[in-house]
Amino acid sequence: MKIAVLSGKGGTGKTTVTSNLAVNIPGCTLIDTDVEEPNLHIFFNFKFNQEDSIKTEYPIVDMEKCNLCGKCGDFCRYNAILPAKDKVLIFKEICHNCGGCEIVCPTKAIQYEKREIGKIYRNNSDSSIHMKYGELNIGEMSGVRIIEKLKKSVENDPIVFIDSPPGTSCATVAAVEDVDYAVIVSEPTPFGVSDMKMVVEMLKEMKIPFGVVVNKAGLGNNEIYKYCNDENIKVLENIPYSREIAEFYAHGVVFSKNMQSYKELFINLFENIKTILEPVQEGGQ
Amino acid sequence: MKIAVASKGEGLKAEIDNMFGRAEYFVIVDSENTEVKSIENTAKNESNGAGGKAVKLLSNEGVEIIVAPELGPKAVTAVEAFKIKAYKKDSLKTVEEAVKAYKEGKLIEFESASVREHSGLRRA
Repeated sequence: MKIAVLSGKGGTGKTTVTSNLAVNIPGCTLIDTDVEEPNLHIFFNFKFNQEDSIKTEYPIVDMEKCNLCGKCGDFCRYNAILPAKDKVLIFKEICHNCGGCEIVCPTKAIQYEKREIGKIYRNNSDSSIHMKYGELNIGEMSGVRIIEKLKKSVENDPIVFIDSPPGTSCATVAAVEDVDYAVIVSEPTPFGVSDMKMVVEMLKEMKIPFGVVVNKAGLGNNEIYKYCNDENIKVLENIPYSREIAEFYAHGVVFSKNMQSYKELFINLFENIKTILEPVQEGGQ
Repeated sequence: MKIAVASKGEGLKAEIDNMFGRAEYFVIVDSENTEVKSIENTAKNESNGAGGKAVKLLSNEGVEIIVAPELGPKAVTAVEAFKIKAYKKDSLKTVEEAVKAYKEGKLIEFESASVREHSGLRRA
């Protein structure tokens, strides 16, 4: 079972919800796909080692063969390859590695070279929770490839919680693609609700079942409940706006470890999702 | 020799744009016969690499001199590869002023990028 935790706006509590789910569900796997800014691992005292180096490819041009016809530059919609007066410029950091320039080149002057765009880290296999995170190298444009590889590497694990990047970018789509269920974490503020609506639209389009966890409940107004009610969206849980929770978070502590009453909330959240998914899974068989 | 100025509108009276790769227009002035041609910048809405594409567009028009407010790193690389000289607009306001200042040798050449990558995207 793969469950993605995502949000429209940043800082609503994705990592809070993901980490608290993980510590209360034995035998789970946890992955942080927010590769631009992974932070889930700092809430756990695991030792991490590099597991994989993620590479992308970019074109190199053999000027002995190139006749500067310009077809590669006309083809590339990202302007990553630009034939000039007596050489061909390659802006490798904006190349999306589609392979098109090699195909359109009439003199077969283009070949590809690999370069690293990021890494995947994992904790020791004897840890209580199996955990991995991806990290995009500084200056790189897209972490989608890292996210895909990260998800692929845990595809046979029985229960996987995915901490997703915020928003509705390509990275978020990659993180939630093919999951069984998505949990949207939102603040009950006008800003939180507004950004959540975009995530709702994205998940509907992707046909992924989802529910909402309202974090910092008590803040803002009731717009989120009205919206969820009108749209027939299930509000799974409410996590109150609490100074105590914020203090634990600020100290890098997964708060339900120290606040017993919340253990149940996260166990319930997981059980609730399992119940929602049961008929769906039977129907699929 | 053809001089291109990144501009907000068409013709000599047009205001110089505050971006290069994502400028609205380029006004191209032929210093020999003072012929003026305004072209729309077809690179301005590119998701990436607008600067490089704009340089290519101008090179295809036979431009050898560019006057711009700012140049990003990719535009600087492209300018060199297309053997074009790029000059700073400094405090000049219109295309006409820029062309005049170039002819009088008052403009300073870009030696390196003046802004970071994707600056045009942020300001667009």
